[in-house]
Amino acid sequence: MDHFAIPPGRFLLSAGLDDAIRRSCAAPQRRAKEAHPVFAFVAALGGMGARVGDVCRALGLAFDEGAVLGRCRIDYDAPLTVDTGYDVAARVVSLERKASRRFGAADHLTLGMTVSAAGRPHARVSLTTIMPAPGPAVQAPA
Amino acid sequence: MSAWELGAVPAGAMALWCEALGDDNAIHVDPAAAEALGFGPRTVNPGPTNLAYLLNMVMEARPDREICSIEAALLGNVLAGDGVLARGTWDQDTCDAELVVAPDNVVLRARIETDGRDSDDGEGFRSQRL
Repeated sequence: MDHFAIPPGRFLLSAGLDDAIRRSCAAPQRRAKEAHPVFAFVAALGGMGARVGDVCRALGLAFDEGAVLGRCRIDYDAPLTVDTGYDVAARVVSLERKASRRFGAADHLTLGMTVSAAGRPHARVSLTTIMPAPGPAVQAPA
Repeated sequence: MSAWELGAVPAGAMALWCEALGDDNAIHVDPAAAEALGFGPRTVNPGPTNLAYLLNMVMEARPDREICSIEAALLGNVLAGDGVLARGTWDQDTCDAELVVAPDNVVLRARIETDGRDSDDGEGFRSQRL
């Protein structure tokens, strides 16, 4: 997957967006300038230089057949703040085909992203998207 | 033990999340697309929104703490209109949390580690962990 490059991108985390996201999920009100911690994930995915669906499609994966989020890990170096622009660097970490109870076989795409401001990382995010694999089911490894 | 509850997941909020996430997966905004793909006749809540519910619980339970890492496994789906319960057990600074759709369907499990708010370098950055 080293040959597949995702362009860098940028995410503007406005106070208005933080307010709207908090209202939408019944979150507590913001303290000072600190954004909801889920914005590490939102900024990583929303700010990378290509939409996740387009990355999957470019890799020949069946994103439109019912992709779901499988796993994620977020490590915070600092809280994200509102009215801040973040640079997002993203790369494909792995692509694996595995047996799936739901799909018969599924492709697991793991992306790694770093969310930074002023050259300093604020969050490192790894997420795995799972999609049905096109073609015949594969046997699960023992 | 901590808990946080939402009586009904709003369908209307999913479009906002999709826009912020750059996620054009139709299962989040089009009930017909969700049904055609086997999710049933209601839209599917984006996974990060479900994660936000767990983070709400942690923020309300420990407002003096800062979240430093999350490891999460998404095991099932939350659909528009579902009621959800976030619950967590604490071992010092670590919360083992799960999100449940009634009656007792665990759809998300996460380990969320927190830290004191006075442990950074004065500019909001924590010391680099080696």
